[in-house]
Amino acid sequence: MSDDANIPGEHEDELLAAEYALGLLTPAEHATVGARLRADPALRADLRFWRARLASLDWGFAETPAPAAVWPRLERRLFAEPARGGWWNSLALWRALSAAALAVAVVAIGIDLAMPRPDPNAFAAQLVAALSAQGSDVNVVALYNATTGQVRLTTISGTAVADKDYELWAIEGSNPPRSMGVIPVTQNVDVKIAPDILAGFGPGTTLAISLEPKGGSKTGAPTGPVVAAGKAARI
Amino acid sequence: MGTDTREIADLIARCALRDRAAFRDLYGRTSAKLYGVTLRILKDRAEAEEALQEVYVKIWQRADRYVPGGFSPISWLVAVARNHALDVLRARKPQGDDIDAALDVADAGPDPEQSAADRDERSRIDRCLGQLDADKADAVRGAYLDGYSYEELASRHKVPLNTMRTWLRRSLLKLRECLSA
Repeated sequence: MSDDANIPGEHEDELLAAEYALGLLTPAEHATVGARLRADPALRADLRFWRARLASLDWGFAETPAPAAVWPRLERRLFAEPARGGWWNSLALWRALSAAALAVAVVAIGIDLAMPRPDPNAFAAQLVAALSAQGSDVNVVALYNATTGQVRLTTISGTAVADKDYELWAIEGSNPPRSMGVIPVTQNVDVKIAPDILAGFGPGTTLAISLEPKGGSKTGAPTGPVVAAGKAARI
Repeated sequence: MGTDTREIADLIARCALRDRAAFRDLYGRTSAKLYGVTLRILKDRAEAEEALQEVYVKIWQRADRYVPGGFSPISWLVAVARNHALDVLRARKPQGDDIDAALDVADAGPDPEQSAADRDERSRIDRCLGQLDADKADAVRGAYLDGYSYEELASRHKVPLNTMRTWLRRSLLKLRECLSA
């Protein structure tokens, strides 16, 4: 490269870009140019020139049917469903959700402390759960008020889905989810907790929202994807 | 071909929106081309197959980085496949992530709407390569299509490494001049 006295130095970058685009450089040189590209718009422009022009050679790659095994492997790798037995048995999912819930819960508590409290007695015993899930835009904060036995759901984000309803579930430990009813996500709402659910309700209870057919799950268990979930924690 | 280009661009855009059906469709329509790329460069069916899978994982994960309206979508896909195969060649283990650089092409390329322009580009590069000595033009094609490094080209053309480099750099300057004209 630079030790090549035959090539005028002013063209050095143009040549480097060509060599980089063609893949001629050694791994070390390639990495060096790669690092320079990030900070050097002129070099990037040279590279774009070469890549755009050289792409005209693409017709030289002969189409060859891909082996049949590739697509199923790809599909499994990218879209693997959680373990059989339902989404709530997926340990990875719950681990991810707890981490996310913790992060949001901290924010929720922060906001709560910053707000003036008009009636401290009404907040005597409270639980908070931040409900969210990766890949879903539904984010809900649930505040449980022991005085009223109600959960106040505040939607941070989420949109209604045509012909579907969101359903709220309470999950105690490894017990099956129990329905707390269909909820709107487009408005804030107070949900009265049924006595049998209230009995076990406390810190560690997981609240989850799934997308169900209109009117809610017909089976009594979640049937659609979980769009948000989080564990209740004392505040 | 214009319709094809638009449809492929549309499928990539839908992949960015996590549309699995679009991804399946995109795979169905482009995997033969991209397998052709990984196979030609890696020259080993098992490695090419493995690479093809990785290439589509990248495409699915980074589909939002494709900018329509600049570079032809199939060229973008080929660039992803080619860069990945070259990474495998370089290290037997992909290291650099060339997809970013591949995407940089997007704002500089020919208008994909014009298949006539594609043909012009193709005949232009053929004409410009035709102005080089036949063995130099072969070396450029070998680097692009087969992923040959300077070392491999030197041994194939039976010249010392430095000679090969000097040759090819002179040829690349000529080529650049012709392609800019």
